[in-house]
Amino acid sequence: MRTSRVRVAGASLLVLGLAAVLALQAHAIESAHLSLGNLAGEGWSLDDVSVQLDWTGESRARAVLLAAAAQLPGQLGSVKDLQFVCESAVLTATGFDCARGLLGLHSSRLGRQSLPLSVHYRHTDKQVRVRVRSIRAAGGSIAVSAVYRDGGWSADVRGSGLVLADVARELRATGIELPSLALDGTLELDLDLRGQGAQLARVAYDARVQARSFSDESGRYAGEALDVTLAGNVRPLRDGWVVSSNMTARQGAVYIDPWYIEVGSAPVVAAAVLDWLPRKQRLELQSFSYRQPGSVDLAGQGRIELQHEQPLRQLQLELKEVFLPSAYETYLQPWLTESLAGNLETTGQLRGRLQVDGGGLVRASADLQSVSLAEKDGLFGFDHLSGNLDWSDAAVPEYSTLAWDAGHVYRVSLGKTAVELESTGNAVRLVRPMRIPVLDGELDIESFSLDYPGREELRWEVDGILTPVSMQQLTRALEWPEFGGKLSGVIPSVSYDSGILTVGGVLLVRVFDGVVTLRDLQLTDPFGLVPRLHVNANADNIDLESLTGAFSFGRIEGRLDGRVEGLLLESWLPVAFDAEFATPEDDKSRHRISQKAVDNISNIGGGGVGGALSRSFLQFFEDFPYDRLGIRCRLENGICDMGGVAPAENGYYLVKGRFLPPRLDVVGFADRVNWGSLVAQIVAVTRGKNMVVE
Amino acid sequence: MKVLNLPMSLLLLLLVTACVTINVYFPAEAAVKAADRIILDVYGEKPDSKGEEKPDAAEPTSWRHDAVRPTPVAVHILNWLVAPAHAEADISINTPAIRQLKAKMEQRHRQLAAYYASGAIGMTGDGLITLRDQKLVPLKERNSVKGLVSQENGDRNALYVEIARANDHPEWESDIRQTFARRWVANARSGWYYQDGGAWKQK
Repeated sequence: MRTSRVRVAGASLLVLGLAAVLALQAHAIESAHLSLGNLAGEGWSLDDVSVQLDWTGESRARAVLLAAAAQLPGQLGSVKDLQFVCESAVLTATGFDCARGLLGLHSSRLGRQSLPLSVHYRHTDKQVRVRVRSIRAAGGSIAVSAVYRDGGWSADVRGSGLVLADVARELRATGIELPSLALDGTLELDLDLRGQGAQLARVAYDARVQARSFSDESGRYAGEALDVTLAGNVRPLRDGWVVSSNMTARQGAVYIDPWYIEVGSAPVVAAAVLDWLPRKQRLELQSFSYRQPGSVDLAGQGRIELQHEQPLRQLQLELKEVFLPSAYETYLQPWLTESLAGNLETTGQLRGRLQVDGGGLVRASADLQSVSLAEKDGLFGFDHLSGNLDWSDAAVPEYSTLAWDAGHVYRVSLGKTAVELESTGNAVRLVRPMRIPVLDGELDIESFSLDYPGREELRWEVDGILTPVSMQQLTRALEWPEFGGKLSGVIPSVSYDSGILTVGGVLLVRVFDGVVTLRDLQLTDPFGLVPRLHVNANADNIDLESLTGAFSFGRIEGRLDGRVEGLLLESWLPVAFDAEFATPEDDKSRHRISQKAVDNISNIGGGGVGGALSRSFLQFFEDFPYDRLGIRCRLENGICDMGGVAPAENGYYLVKGRFLPPRLDVVGFADRVNWGSLVAQIVAVTRGKNMVVE
Repeated sequence: MKVLNLPMSLLLLLLVTACVTINVYFPAEAAVKAADRIILDVYGEKPDSKGEEKPDAAEPTSWRHDAVRPTPVAVHILNWLVAPAHAEADISINTPAIRQLKAKMEQRHRQLAAYYASGAIGMTGDGLITLRDQKLVPLKERNSVKGLVSQENGDRNALYVEIARANDHPEWESDIRQTFARRWVANARSGWYYQDGGAWKQK
């Protein structure tokens, strides 16, 4: 707008001068001097203006216009020592032509300038053409070519080699607010401005920015090695502007907190048509599109109202192509760093749509095409997820299907599964029962429902049956010592509420010819930093021969009952329990313990005593009968309060021998044992290595 | 004395019926020692440290070579007598959760060390870290450093809670946090930044 006023004022002045000059020529005067004094208009003034004409031939004259000072409109500053000299102006009845004029001035903004310019005036249609070939500005040069006719005007401004930091400084000096940026780069610019009187009708722009680096003070917005072209136009509306713009980034990288976007071999392209209504603080995105090849291709429309806390009021977004892992790593992961979904390996692709209305998400859908994802610390993963997910906040249910070829939770593998889900608002439920193969068994899920009323309040509930899973596979998957048996259970209700997973019902482990039942299983923060598992367990009629065989501990024959109350695992390691295992009171089975088992039990104690056994006459017996055996440990604060099957002198019997010889008793004396050391010894013994206790 | 006078009777009654209140104060000195053990390991300042905590209780004492009596043979096992634990106020840091958190922090510190040194990361007054000047981090690394900072803070918050919990005093969390906040700085290398009353200082 300011530019237009200057042009209008300049043209009017010129017309006035030319009219005077032509009048003088008619009277055949050889030279003329015109002192015009001070001239002023709205927002501008010229001080001490004079015009000197010296005729050099017919229709030719040397023209000099002088002004001591000029005040330019708006923030354009002031100019002094203004001197326009045209050595060979052509003055005819139809107009005025100065092909090679020179405008000298001293600008408060641009310093001393000597601008070669041409001026042409045509009397018939009052057309004025001005062309300035080169203005030194912002470390580069600007050429301006302007035409004025009948109140309408156009100007073509070309800037080349402009230094970005200088451009920013000049713009700031004119009162344009720009963020404080450290800029290192250049700008090539082509502006085409058109207007009528003081009204700007259209600006078309074409710019190329090459920036080695830029950054704002906080480092939240920054770029490197950028080569970006921008093209578009701006037109005024009654109460704002309509902007149409295209951007192509050919190389470089930008950081727009929290996104880091690196331009690959193919350019990143964006386009938008928008209405900017400053009084309403509203941005109408008539259309926009963004494409980063190999990552995302999206398009949509929307409305942003800056006065709202949630400014994005309306959005229709179509995700035409989303390629993983690039789209996940570039655009999604930075938002999710603190959630479980923030640490995934992803592959595959998807499409989708999002709809925002009234500042909130009202509809979302995704079409997954062979998406694989795996949590990097191995917590969970799914291979070849496919399906359609549909969600809306409306009361009418939406249906989704989801299937995967394989998956895992921790190291427990899950087989091929298909799920059909129904969602209503923030609730999701299973449409029909589903089966998840778990190792060699199956988890049959009768019902599943999920409720997500708020950000922190995820709740879900599952009812199902676990058909037998072989313990051999489970123990191998969990990297425990392998043993046989089957795990199964009726799980009437598994519920998850505010980070706590509770398993109702009883899990049954058929193992070593006996039964272990797990009750009151509760898991807190299962995928969190410190998962905690509470459970109570009972063991009935375990066959010791199978048990000791499985752990190569040395053969023990007999049966074992036990209970573990208040077992608490923190980060999957026991920190507290009250456990007791012993030969059942009424056990009628054969009770024998092998010399190797005695040796190993002794080795747990520190090694060496087994040797004492082998040095005695008892070395001739391969095994020994026993009456009862048992152990009790109450673990708390890393200390195990120990006990055995019966009290002994100064201690307790771990193995109480039969009355008849060869009689062997194993007696424990320590009633408080360091749990960490005990576990280390047991592990060493079951792995066949003796630890040396110093 | 025929009868006890009234004040004496009341005093006796009081002595008989009064309940004893034991105040457990936060063991500040022990907390500093515990914090230093963790912090020096995380910073990798102990060259011989293998990241394993020594148990709180005493190590097993030597095996008691009691003679094995000829008949009946008694094999004496589990003779690791545990020294009377917690004779004086102590801070336990020997739980699986604390060991695991510390191990993760040790591993992460190797990635963070360069950013402490460059000044990109600084220590806050509440025992956490923050990205104090992301301009010092190359663009490409900014998000991964942010991720590291957020994971580190998650682990630190969990660590303070776990230590308080392991010592059966969840209410100590804020004291433990304050202790750690000071010790992270005290054990830091020179040149690292820390927040002091809101302002950044360089050690």
